Amino acid sequence: MNQSSNQGLAPGTRETYSRLHRWLQRGLFVCLTALVLEGTFTFPFLLVWYGWPTLSLQEMCSELQKHRFSDDTRECIYPYPLFGPAEGAGQTTAQDEWGVQPRPKYERIGFRDLVRFRDERLAREAAAKQTPDPGLAIGVRE
Amino acid sequence: MNDRHDKGIDAQDRRRKRALNAFQVLIYGYLFTMFLIQLHMYSVSDW
Amino acid sequence: MERAAVASGYDVHQEQSREAQRQADRWMLPGAIMMTTAILGPIGFPLFLKGMSIQRKAALQGLSVRPMICTLLGYLVIMDSGLNSIGWSLDLVAHHSLINRTLVTAWGNMFDAGYYWHYNELWIGGTGAPGEKSWEIGLVPTVFCMRLAAAIGFLQMKRWGHQWLIVTCWFGVIYWVGYVANMTMFADLRYTGVVFPVIGWWIYDIFYITPFLAIPYLHTVNREIFSD
Repeated sequence: MNQSSNQGLAPGTRETYSRLHRWLQRGLFVCLTALVLEGTFTFPFLLVWYGWPTLSLQEMCSELQKHRFSDDTRECIYPYPLFGPAEGAGQTTAQDEWGVQPRPKYERIGFRDLVRFRDERLAREAAAKQTPDPGLAIGVRE
Repeated sequence: MNDRHDKGIDAQDRRRKRALNAFQVLIYGYLFTMFLIQLHMYSVSDW
Repeated sequence: MERAAVASGYDVHQEQSREAQRQADRWMLPGAIMMTTAILGPIGFPLFLKGMSIQRKAALQGLSVRPMICTLLGYLVIMDSGLNSIGWSLDLVAHHSLINRTLVTAWGNMFDAGYYWHYNELWIGGTGAPGEKSWEIGLVPTVFCMRLAAAIGFLQMKRWGHQWLIVTCWFGVIYWVGYVANMTMFADLRYTGVVFPVIGWWIYDIFYITPFLAIPYLHTVNREIFSD
């Protein structure tokens, strides 16, 4: 890292500050490497964590919205109309504990949990279809 | 840069070094304090 | 006669140095720009390293190229302001694009619910966190644009590049102090339910402290290496 090994100090660096500059250069190198790694691996990592390739990007988007607004009927509209109103504007389903600071009540999304959420919802819907008479279903449960 | 042996420059360099050290202590200290405050909040809440 | 010969020898050396520097930057600049897009990073990184090795070789040959610390600093500022601007511009103007609604909100769900909680619900779209939107509006068109320009001037070893980098790095101190304070004040909102609260955010974001590393250098470097 020290390009000036054969000529003493780098241009612009005086003796008094050579130690400071050496440490700053190390810090800069660490930060640059870290930003490069983050820039490279963040998106692939997020994709895998949130269910790709089992879920397509648009399905991922829909699952995140269902989770965020606690509403199983929400779908991610894509492409979204240009100059349309904000997608979530006026929603009334999101769950929060309101106070001096709001705290959302949605649960933490663990590794590939979005896939699990979707499978469970599909199973629920399938089960609901198999018992077409709601009165009967309630009777059975009781 | 022969002027580094000049007395006036030396004094100026010393002051500059002190100021920059103070700056670094302050800024990293602030960041660390904020981190500790957040850690404390984390330990007492159910995030 | 002799004076002229000496002058031309010096000129040749200067010309060769400039050429070597130009050649190194031809690899490093596109590499850095690709790395700021967060998608083309794996292509950009090797280009950047190739440029760095060209510059190192030139320095070892005795050509007077830019000091390595200036190269690192200039390109780190480009990366830092580029990555910040891209993320924040997406949230400002492209909040309903698919990539933003999946990957940026997923990032928010993982590290900072400011980018997840009630997302795309304000009339202006994007983050629903109080404070966050204001920082975006306040910083992207002002300090981050200035920082990019200053970094390019700095890499060309121009005096104005050095001066404007000092100005924008002090800006950097202001936004770091304010941003982290905002984050702490709204900690309940921003950390509840996220995958990696607090520690995850700090590990992810601490490498953006470029201004704190830059300021001590910019104030102690011999200004004569920058030209008008």
